[in-house]
Amino acid sequence: MFEGTSDTMTQKTLSSHHLYWLLVSLGSALALHSIHLPIWITVTTAGLGIWRYFIDKKHWALPKLRWLILLTLLICIGLLFSYGSSFGRDASVSLLLIMSGMKLLETKTVRDYILIISIAYFIVASTYVFSQTASTFLLSLIPLTLLTATLVQTSLPQTLNSRLAFKLAGKMLLQSIPLMLVLFVLFPRLPGPIWGISKDAYSGMTGLDDVLELGDVGHLIRNSSVAFRVQFDENIPSANQLYWRGPVLWRQQQNQWLTTESNVPLSHESLMTTGIPIDYTITLEPHNRHWLLLLDMPTKLPDLATLRHDYTAVAKSPVRTRIRYQATSSGQYTLSSELSPQQRKIALAINRDNNLEAISLGQSWAQLPADVIINKALKKFNQEPFVYTLRPPRLSSNAIDDFLFKTQKGFCEHYASSFVFLMRAAGVPARIVTGYQGGEINPNGNYLIVRQSDAHAWAEVWLKNKGWVRIDPTAAVAPERIEQGIEEALTEMDELPIFVRQNATWLKKAYLNWDNINNTWNQWILGYDNKRQLAFLNKLSGEKLSLSDIAISMIVAMLVMMLVTAVLLLTKKQGKPSLVDRQYAQHIKQLSKIGVQPQIGEGSVDFAYRIGQLLPKQAKQAINIATLYNELKYGPLQNNSQMRQSKQLQLLKQMIQTFHRSKA
Amino acid sequence: MHPTVENITQSINQVILGKHQQVRLALTCLLAGGHLLIEDLPGMGKTTLAHALAQVFGLAFSRVQFTSDLLPADVLGVSVYDRNTSSFQFHQGPIFSNILLADEVNRATPKTQSALLEAMEEYQVSVDGDTLPLPNPFFVIATQNPKHNIGTFPLPESQLDRFLMRISLGYPDPASERSLLKKQGGRALDQKPSTICSSESLLNLQSAVEKIHVSDAVLDYLQALIQHTRTELDTGLSPRASLGLRKCAQAWALCENRDYVIPEDIQAVFPSIATHRLEEDSNTNIAEKIIQNVAI
Amino acid sequence: MLEALQKLNHAFKQRLKALFRVAKSVNKVATLNARQIYILPSRWSLFYLLLLLALLIGAINYTLSLAYAATFLLAALANVAMLHTWRNLAYLEVSINHAKPVFAGDLAEVEVKVRDLKNRSRYAICANFQDERSTTQSINANTSEIFTLPLTTHHRGYLSMPRLRLHTEFPLSLFHAWAVVKTEEKILVYPKPSGDALVIPNGIDPDSKGNQSMLAGDEDFTGHKTYQLGDLPSKVDWKASSKGMGMFSKQYSGEASTSLYFDWAQTTGDTEARIAQLTRWVVDAQAAQLTYGLKLNGQIQFMPNNSNNHYHACLKALATR
Repeated sequence: MFEGTSDTMTQKTLSSHHLYWLLVSLGSALALHSIHLPIWITVTTAGLGIWRYFIDKKHWALPKLRWLILLTLLICIGLLFSYGSSFGRDASVSLLLIMSGMKLLETKTVRDYILIISIAYFIVASTYVFSQTASTFLLSLIPLTLLTATLVQTSLPQTLNSRLAFKLAGKMLLQSIPLMLVLFVLFPRLPGPIWGISKDAYSGMTGLDDVLELGDVGHLIRNSSVAFRVQFDENIPSANQLYWRGPVLWRQQQNQWLTTESNVPLSHESLMTTGIPIDYTITLEPHNRHWLLLLDMPTKLPDLATLRHDYTAVAKSPVRTRIRYQATSSGQYTLSSELSPQQRKIALAINRDNNLEAISLGQSWAQLPADVIINKALKKFNQEPFVYTLRPPRLSSNAIDDFLFKTQKGFCEHYASSFVFLMRAAGVPARIVTGYQGGEINPNGNYLIVRQSDAHAWAEVWLKNKGWVRIDPTAAVAPERIEQGIEEALTEMDELPIFVRQNATWLKKAYLNWDNINNTWNQWILGYDNKRQLAFLNKLSGEKLSLSDIAISMIVAMLVMMLVTAVLLLTKKQGKPSLVDRQYAQHIKQLSKIGVQPQIGEGSVDFAYRIGQLLPKQAKQAINIATLYNELKYGPLQNNSQMRQSKQLQLLKQMIQTFHRSKA
Repeated sequence: MHPTVENITQSINQVILGKHQQVRLALTCLLAGGHLLIEDLPGMGKTTLAHALAQVFGLAFSRVQFTSDLLPADVLGVSVYDRNTSSFQFHQGPIFSNILLADEVNRATPKTQSALLEAMEEYQVSVDGDTLPLPNPFFVIATQNPKHNIGTFPLPESQLDRFLMRISLGYPDPASERSLLKKQGGRALDQKPSTICSSESLLNLQSAVEKIHVSDAVLDYLQALIQHTRTELDTGLSPRASLGLRKCAQAWALCENRDYVIPEDIQAVFPSIATHRLEEDSNTNIAEKIIQNVAI
Repeated sequence: MLEALQKLNHAFKQRLKALFRVAKSVNKVATLNARQIYILPSRWSLFYLLLLLALLIGAINYTLSLAYAATFLLAALANVAMLHTWRNLAYLEVSINHAKPVFAGDLAEVEVKVRDLKNRSRYAICANFQDERSTTQSINANTSEIFTLPLTTHHRGYLSMPRLRLHTEFPLSLFHAWAVVKTEEKILVYPKPSGDALVIPNGIDPDSKGNQSMLAGDEDFTGHKTYQLGDLPSKVDWKASSKGMGMFSKQYSGEASTSLYFDWAQTTGDTEARIAQLTRWVVDAQAAQLTYGLKLNGQIQFMPNNSNNHYHACLKALATR
């Protein structure tokens, strides 16, 4: 029945107006991506669009196929240069953008338009691979609406008034929301991924490395993005307790510090806790590494975590999605009361080729008791003019010597590494612990935000009977860093992210509100995975649901919602008739039950006369109704006060009611 | 019904029997300040109606029988050389009156017709370079035979448009005809309706017409009707026609003694206003059809 | 084999068509009710489905909640679009407005009036007759729009209008809604004039003057009538006037009008060929503004005349013979 007809539609060429709509909506989709793709991709795609615009405007010919092929080749070479051989997420999105731009150059018919628009929909959705924040989502609604409006325009031979097209597109999107919500809540979530995802998909994620090279933590400190959020079951512990344990670094190689080699089996360190257990839940942002950050020292681990021998919690696979986990920790503990010879060997190993001055200083302390050595080292940091700064001077290969005796400027990793170096030189087993320190309490949501800028490095030294004891040499130089956060520790205004600076209070307030929204967004929208879905639906239904239960309820709810939308859409009368008209419509509706209906072009008075012929007894009533209706509808308004009008309206209502009562 | 209007109609109805609707339309046209064209076969009482209308308002009235040899000067007036003053003296033609009855207007040559119609439009006459205003009120009631009669010059559309309304009388119903036949003397023209209305009260009525309220809802309907003629037919109605339609509907509402216009008023006057402009000569029902096709 | 398959396909389609409900016109007006509207996904909705699938797979693979949301939003949008498409077509009133007669083989232009009954503006409504080109128009709320639709004609006589198809893909082209209207309306098709340029015959009287300049002549005096203003002075009977008998005009009638007859008997060949010849003559004579009559079956069908109505009446007689 419908063959041959859609051809006429899709073969049709479209007007310039249609093209401008398409170009604008594609441009908005491109703009979404312009932040995270190489600039030349954006420029090339925009250039292709502008070229198409001029083809239309100046009536240039569409480019020949051989030029298109040449252009494609050039662009492929460009992509190869930009991305090399790893063809992953970024390269695919770039390719998609460029190809949609190329497609524009041969776009003439409705079919082409529709193809481009569907690709553009995909391009818009692919933004979410890069960022899933609430603002990204809101921003992506712009091209989404534009594309839908363009699609509306394409289905018309002549273009519709732009405002109307926009309004219709917006209206349709709004009407789609109920069904979308049903699907979103009930569509069974599968634990992804279905296939391997190329590595560059996570290149945007930042976090702690298992290597510390002087200068590394610094790049994190300049990054204000959130590392994780913590919700404590009870009170939030004081700031100097908030050491979030990350990778523990044992081995020194030149200026680098590394974790222990996995092929060297080391026995698990023992832990004895005495303090009050602290229960908390962490929502960890994806950072593409194994670390699961926990408060020192964890007593109860989340299910997904395993402990390394040095009490670093790790997940089985890199954390690539936002995860939530519960844990319990205790602030008072004894870690590893015994040290095996092997551990001691690693914890004392230093590179003796460089940093000779530091080695000799350490060795000069070697005869002293361990706690005196520690004090001596801390005193050095405290009493000599050491400065806490995020912009330390460059250091040579004798980095520790340079730092300790020349520049004396640096931040946590400098202090931690040189402290550990001195300890080891003096014969005290020591290691560097990296992680995060502190965090910001969000009073709006009563949770703790820990940002990348809270990244920190400190030291642990092993003391007899006490085990591994945390020493934070940074505290000796800048105790504010530990007590109040990084912004307090800085003497000069370093290049800190804006949210970390405390003098921008209103900004900070706004930011905290925004973060609260983001947190909710993360918990409920982005974190709505298979576990959360199951938990939520179980709680909602009060039963334990299986996947098939969810699927069935989804289908049922979907059908119901479709029906509701259909009923609302199809029965809704457009336009609001005035109250008078509504009364009169009621009158007509009642009359149609006895088979009388006004004809097209039949006025109310003429109609009343016709009713009079059918119901002679009520002829006068009918005419009175018509007269009053006419007066209310067409009569001069200025003569009637609001009061009188509503009275007359009431009268009309009564007259209609009496009419139909006496009819029966 | 409006009391004055009722008196007038009653008075005319004594002369023209059984034509209440047409009499009211003619009256509406005059109240709306437009010119009237009465079209029918000979002997149907066209002249009688025109005569009666003029009579009842008690206005200066003149009548011109249009023939093929009638010249513009015969209607407008001529300048005659006066020996005593040695100058040309303008002698006013029959057009200088309140009501001009142009009998059988389509018998005159186009030249004479256009002289008349120009005066109708501009309410002034230009003779020998002088512009002379016509009296107020000024109406033209023209009668004409249907076009297909031999020896006539049908009015072109542009001139038809100047007439606000065209009505045709049609045959009388048997009862009216019987009472006509029973009348003494037989000639209707002998009977003259009494003068009821002065020219001031006519002007008062005309300004009352202007004040009749026209709501947006009614204008919507009016525009829908006009739009329908423009989209559905070869030639639609002009803005002049839509203005006239509004004015006539107001006048009709006044006749009904109502201070606002309802769609029925528009429907009542629409055929008389539309039919002669739509030049569908074979299909006189066209206006009715349009009314039946446009929702209120 | 292939032919058999095609036949089967054709039969199946016919059967399918019979199954579909058709809006029948009552009193020349057909209303498209809810039950007469059919709706199916259009071709490009396949694209859209692929897009949705790709999005869903992407969402699952990268566990992107927002990609899920986008997928579901676009899926729900399709549902809404379906309702909008349906709504765009439902409750339209269709009537055949006007169809000018045409010659067989020409394209008839049928005017179809489509009216909105639901106080909704309708956009991009397409209408076409079976196997004919379609016309697209938008209709404002509560108003009607005339669609001028082409219709191929083959044979003379009355042609029953084929089924009229109204369809739309507005607003997103995702769904194709259509309705079929059956009207009782017929269109008059005049015979196709014969292709050969035939000399117009002079009429049945071989002696009569065939000269065209004389055809319009005013030879024969037929009588007097009383003078009426506007009569040509040359025709006034001044002689009678001078005798004081009053003013009279002389009346003449053109000689040709009595002589130019197109007769069935003058033609040769089978019925269709004869009709084609007669049609050719009528058309040519009308074009030359001649006065002509028509004789069929040996008797006079139409007296000579040259009005437009006469022309159409002659053609109608030929069409329906």
